[in-house]
Amino acid sequence: MDVFMSFKSKITRKEKKNVLPDLIIPSLALIFTLYYLTTITEAPWIAQASAIVVGSLLILLIFIFFIKTFFMVRKEKEIISFSNLTIDKPTSFKRLTLLVLTLCFTMFLELLGFTLSAIIFLFFSIILLSSIKNWKNALMISVSCSLIGYFIFIYIFNTQFPRGAFENFVERIEDGK
Amino acid sequence: MENDLGIFFSLISNTLEYWWVIVPATILGIVVGAIPGFSAANTIIILLPLTLSIGPEAGMIFMVAIYTSSRLGAGIPAVLVNIPGTAGAAATPLDGYPMSKRGEGQKALSISFTSSVLGGLLTTILALILIPWLSQVAYYLHSVEMIVVMLFGISLIATISSQDTLKGLIAGLFGLMIGYIGADVVYEIPRGTFGFLELYDKVPLVPALVGLFAISEAFVVIDRKMVANQSVKDSKMMHSWKQTFNGIKITLIRWKHVIWTSIIGLIIGVIPGAGAAIASFVAYQQSKNFSKTPELYGTGHPEGLIAPESSNNGVTSGTLIPLLIIGVPGGATAAIMAVVLEYHGVQFGPDIFETNPMLGYGPFVAMGITYIILGFLIMPLTRYFSNVLLIPTKYIAPLIIVFTLVGSFVPRAYVFDIYVAIIFGIIGYIARKTGYHVAAILIGVILGPMLENFFLRALRISQGDLTTLFSSSLGNTLWILLIISLFVPGLKKYFSRQK
Repeated sequence: MDVFMSFKSKITRKEKKNVLPDLIIPSLALIFTLYYLTTITEAPWIAQASAIVVGSLLILLIFIFFIKTFFMVRKEKEIISFSNLTIDKPTSFKRLTLLVLTLCFTMFLELLGFTLSAIIFLFFSIILLSSIKNWKNALMISVSCSLIGYFIFIYIFNTQFPRGAFENFVERIEDGK
Repeated sequence: MENDLGIFFSLISNTLEYWWVIVPATILGIVVGAIPGFSAANTIIILLPLTLSIGPEAGMIFMVAIYTSSRLGAGIPAVLVNIPGTAGAAATPLDGYPMSKRGEGQKALSISFTSSVLGGLLTTILALILIPWLSQVAYYLHSVEMIVVMLFGISLIATISSQDTLKGLIAGLFGLMIGYIGADVVYEIPRGTFGFLELYDKVPLVPALVGLFAISEAFVVIDRKMVANQSVKDSKMMHSWKQTFNGIKITLIRWKHVIWTSIIGLIIGVIPGAGAAIASFVAYQQSKNFSKTPELYGTGHPEGLIAPESSNNGVTSGTLIPLLIIGVPGGATAAIMAVVLEYHGVQFGPDIFETNPMLGYGPFVAMGITYIILGFLIMPLTRYFSNVLLIPTKYIAPLIIVFTLVGSFVPRAYVFDIYVAIIFGIIGYIARKTGYHVAAILIGVILGPMLENFFLRALRISQGDLTTLFSSSLGNTLWILLIISLFVPGLKKYFSRQK
């Protein structure tokens, strides 16, 4: 009896999987598919057909997934909860800040060019992922890696990387102006 | 016969004269293949001004050498850090990465390279011999069959790569819907573009690849301090040839496995659009199905690493066959090659093998020579590539973001494409964290436009009648195989439970 009780308590204590995050991709897919289908209403049937076939199949699968999840939650094998999301706060903060830095890097890329934007982005990202004490290493790595990137892709191969003040300055020196 | 051998040896000697193109392209290919997002296609695009200026023969050899060696290079991050360098290496981490985590990174790389070189070399020789017969496969695949082949590819990826088939299918079909974004090729009606002019010309593939694989991985990898754990780090410090030779030995013992999985790659490579990603997953699944130890797959099983690497290198020669014979590129890289050759005024078709053997057979000879060079060059370097694991994530994550994001800017020079890569990165991150396979989404995005074109052609011929999808015997056979492939995993599970 004791063994049975302890087994039962283990089951009840066992953490149920929160399937709320699993619903994000199907929800995105459903919203996008519905939006897409609204944009083809003016097209002739033969231009609509493939999107209607694939879109309908996708919507069907998403509904099957939602129904499956609903029954799993009803059977108490899974849960859907906003309060029970296991988010590691320090890492999530780092991840979100890195995303903001990435967006800033992209926004300043055309203005500053590849080399300067890369130096700034790499420097702050490395500090974010390590600590301010690591600023010397961060500076060294960000400057050296950006210059190597500049040398290989812009200087040697002349690829269409975004160019700015630094790239134009080096070009002017080369031209002897 | 004597005449044929004479032509063959003169082709070899002519190709060897371009050693100054092959050797640097091979080294460059390994390096760019190892950088996630910097695929062969991307590199060839970056170096397009160079490729266009050195003539068609040298240009073609240069592209082939980069393409071939980047295929091997792509296995390096796939094995060591769970980021496939290209979509073709998407199945490589399934067993390569668990080996790395066990501290067998050098052995895994050695298996990956040996099976790639052997598989690639074998299929290149086979392609040279079988060109007249292999070309017939493409002639049998009309619009209807191509539709089924593409849906078959998506369903295979869904059943193979995902723990949950339903999630895999949702990911693949979601990718297809994203691939449908853009202006309609016939009626020019913009669909699903959110009003962005930059999306009228379809979703750019390079940003999609960069976002789904590289950016999402960079955001996942920051959970850890190092790319590998401490025990792996300790084992990495002991550079020994033992693991490298052990890897070669393991692969050579499984020579039959290398042969049949690379032939799968060659056959799939001939089918336009199917490509290395599908080939590697199909080979992986078939290898698992016929294995005596299927339960070991996904845990760092050598056969699970040999299958995708042999097959994706088999694709490299297969993909050139439809390009050279009927002018239909087998994949993104072959499409870029087509652009370069068209720039030089080269006419595709069966006649190319008679009128200009250096351009007809030459690419295959160059491919074979590149594989031989790679065999000698890459093995001594294998042990040093393992050092990638020792880079702390605080450095590697920002570096991946910077170089791959800028790589996504290169093909069209739109900053918009970098934002596309970031959006795909967010989708990829959520997908990774919730068990939706990113490779399935990417394959969907790649196949979407092609699937739509084939749909359009099939329906125009049948005047809008959807039953045309079931009008061909070969197509119907493929439909049946598709349905079987969807139900086999479920039935297998059911019967194993019954036992």
